[in-house]
Amino acid sequence: MREPFNILVAGVGGQGNLLCGRILADAAIQQGLRPVVGDTFGASRRGGSVLTHLRLGTRDWAPLIPKGEVDILLGLEPLEALRAAVEYAGARTIAVVSLRRTPISDIGSGNIEYPPLDKISAALTRLCKQVYIIDADAALSQIGSRRVLNSFLLGAMSRLTQSPLKPDVIRESLNSLVGSDSINMVAFEEGATALHVELT
Amino acid sequence: MRIGMKDQDHMTMMSGNEAIVRGAIEAGVGFCASYPGTPATEIAANLFTLADEHDIYVEWSVNEKVALEAATGASWAGIPALCSMKSLGLNVASDFLLNVNLSGTGKGGLVIVVCDDPRGHSSSNEQDSRFYAKAAQIPLLEPSTYQEAKDVTKYAFKLSKKYEVPIIIRSTTRLSHSRGLVKRGLISKKKKSAGNLPVGLYNVPMPHQKHRDLLRKIGRIMEEFETTGFNTDLSIKDMELLVISSGVCSMYVREALHLLGTTKIGHLNIATTYPLPKTTVTNLLDRTSRVLFIEETDSFVEDEVRALSAELKKLPAFYGKRTGHVPNYGEMNTDVVRTAIGSMNGTSANEVVSQQLPGEDILVERPLIFCAGCTHRNFYWAVRKVRKRMGGKLIVAGDIGCYSLGVFYDGAMNTMQAMGSGIGVACGLGKLERFGFDSKIIAVAGDSTFFHACLPGLVNARHKNANLTFVILDNATTAMTGFQIHPGSHHQEKAHRRIEIEGIIKAVQPDFYDRGSTSDIRSLIELLHSTINKKGLKVLLLESACRLDENSMDLVSKNTVFMIDSDSCRGEKCKICVADFGCPAISWGDATGQPIILDAMCVRCGACVVVCPHDAIKEERLQ
Repeated sequence: MREPFNILVAGVGGQGNLLCGRILADAAIQQGLRPVVGDTFGASRRGGSVLTHLRLGTRDWAPLIPKGEVDILLGLEPLEALRAAVEYAGARTIAVVSLRRTPISDIGSGNIEYPPLDKISAALTRLCKQVYIIDADAALSQIGSRRVLNSFLLGAMSRLTQSPLKPDVIRESLNSLVGSDSINMVAFEEGATALHVELT
Repeated sequence: MRIGMKDQDHMTMMSGNEAIVRGAIEAGVGFCASYPGTPATEIAANLFTLADEHDIYVEWSVNEKVALEAATGASWAGIPALCSMKSLGLNVASDFLLNVNLSGTGKGGLVIVVCDDPRGHSSSNEQDSRFYAKAAQIPLLEPSTYQEAKDVTKYAFKLSKKYEVPIIIRSTTRLSHSRGLVKRGLISKKKKSAGNLPVGLYNVPMPHQKHRDLLRKIGRIMEEFETTGFNTDLSIKDMELLVISSGVCSMYVREALHLLGTTKIGHLNIATTYPLPKTTVTNLLDRTSRVLFIEETDSFVEDEVRALSAELKKLPAFYGKRTGHVPNYGEMNTDVVRTAIGSMNGTSANEVVSQQLPGEDILVERPLIFCAGCTHRNFYWAVRKVRKRMGGKLIVAGDIGCYSLGVFYDGAMNTMQAMGSGIGVACGLGKLERFGFDSKIIAVAGDSTFFHACLPGLVNARHKNANLTFVILDNATTAMTGFQIHPGSHHQEKAHRRIEIEGIIKAVQPDFYDRGSTSDIRSLIELLHSTINKKGLKVLLLESACRLDENSMDLVSKNTVFMIDSDSCRGEKCKICVADFGCPAISWGDATGQPIILDAMCVRCGACVVVCPHDAIKEERLQ
């Protein structure tokens, strides 16, 4: 594993960014690594941009990933994935990005238009080494909740050959945080089969 | 989460704030008083959860000044006391701080934790609170890692007990709100018992002598800082450059040096930033020709080092915020350090950054907004309607809380500075009629803020007969920081007694007082409009609700849904609900050209129904 190995989780408030960080940090500890997790959230309790920086290694790395040093970008939301990629992606970055948009609410400053998805994915492919766009809608409808998107994407991420965290270990960490009968576990398993649409 | 091969190697993931709590518990803390504020809230919140187990008294005080005074009382009586607050909180507490530094803190030990917020992620400024340590001439400690946060806190209690001075520990957002592994230490077994107060707990009639005594103490503390072991020195024999850093910046420096792959740069992490250990610093300055300072937020260490090196024979060249090599505002990170070192060596590290990256042109901001169903939105909607009726002649002097977002809501709130400032500013504006000031004035505050800092302003407004309307948006909790109980909350701890805001208002005897609800927009507009047109001091207590608060969940109906009636909706031509009212539960359907109510997000408050001028938002009962 490259030291430090850097995972960046990008989403909006309420999507479960912080939980992703906790699960991956726990998995890292189980594998004998020394994680540092930096959560960055502003005044927005709900609905604002949220980033979780995960640093994996053998010593305390700074709680913010330096520019260009992201190894895996987990995008819970396309626009936030792009925002994170513009700021932090580089030649090694592999992005796993959910297609589902969280719309922008705005009043006063005119209408802020959500950028078209094809432009977002085109920009992501130029910013990253590899991009996996994940359409979790069908799977999540079947499971019956959109709130488990984070677990779904963790499942997808766990299958990346570049991930130093093993799928079984991530699953075990998720299990210990949410419980074995949680639909998060179902979402994780479904996510683990979702890495087929790849843009390069 | 734990890791461990052997028992003594047990490591736990802790945030900087949690590590500070652990350090305090290991030091035997018995008393904690605080007022919630990001990024410091979790310190006292965490201690609440551990209070019973470790026999600690914890309270959310009414404000930071009262918290510091209460904690000092405990320390005087011999109980180790912790007082945590955010940066701006220390402004409130500073009046007391600049007295108790001279009076002394007795045998218990008093540790103040202040969490600064560089870049102001959750604050109205990005102040550097370290200057309070210098102003009060008391020791200042800045931990740079999670482990240090715990160890430094334990040490701070020891230091305070020994010298009977308050100690400030300064953290910043990135340390407080990130986590890493911490090795725990043993918890103090010392019995916590309160005894007699020391004599002479005042500075008069000879404050200057108390000042002299404090300076003598700080001299001895400086000696002690030379050998604490917290100031880690990774200097090398032939240094081309020495980087001096403090706090979380030291992690950025370590990483930048790793990325640059250089072996010619030394690094001093200073944890004892006031008073600086003079010999430690000057000995290192002797061995290098260039020094770079990296710190959050202002040039504090940089200026101190410049001052104490003035008498050196040979001065190295200094680089930092003073020379423009490091930004003198905003937040630091590893890239800032890399760029600074690059710029010192003549290479402009900004070349790459200056060109536009793919996707940058289509990035749009995600503005801060009120939550779905937030009643603050209803209030400001009413303000905007009333302002329109007044031909724009309505000023809203605002305050600190979720409702501060009113500044982003079509400028519905005009001013926003410090806790309690709304009513204070309005007091002044309310006396300007003689100079031709002809706008109506509303001061707005939340319930927790009302108790924190609005009482003197309200009394002043009454006493001076200021012509203004004071509105209290009362959701009965400290919503912004996570629902901490305050004196007006409905649910109180058994031993506490609720204080009703209404009783306080009535005691002040305003010229007009009424209650209202922010849930009913139509009557709220009328109430606001008629009230501001009355003469004198008017007070409105408006019942409000936080939709994230579990205690308010029963306020909305579970049996109804809200839908857009596509026949009545004027679509693109109107857009008032989605683009002007701006509830995030109302989205836009590009295909239909009409709004969509996102049922998963809608809290079913029905506020939007009256917002639609075409009666196109319909309530439907679920069978």
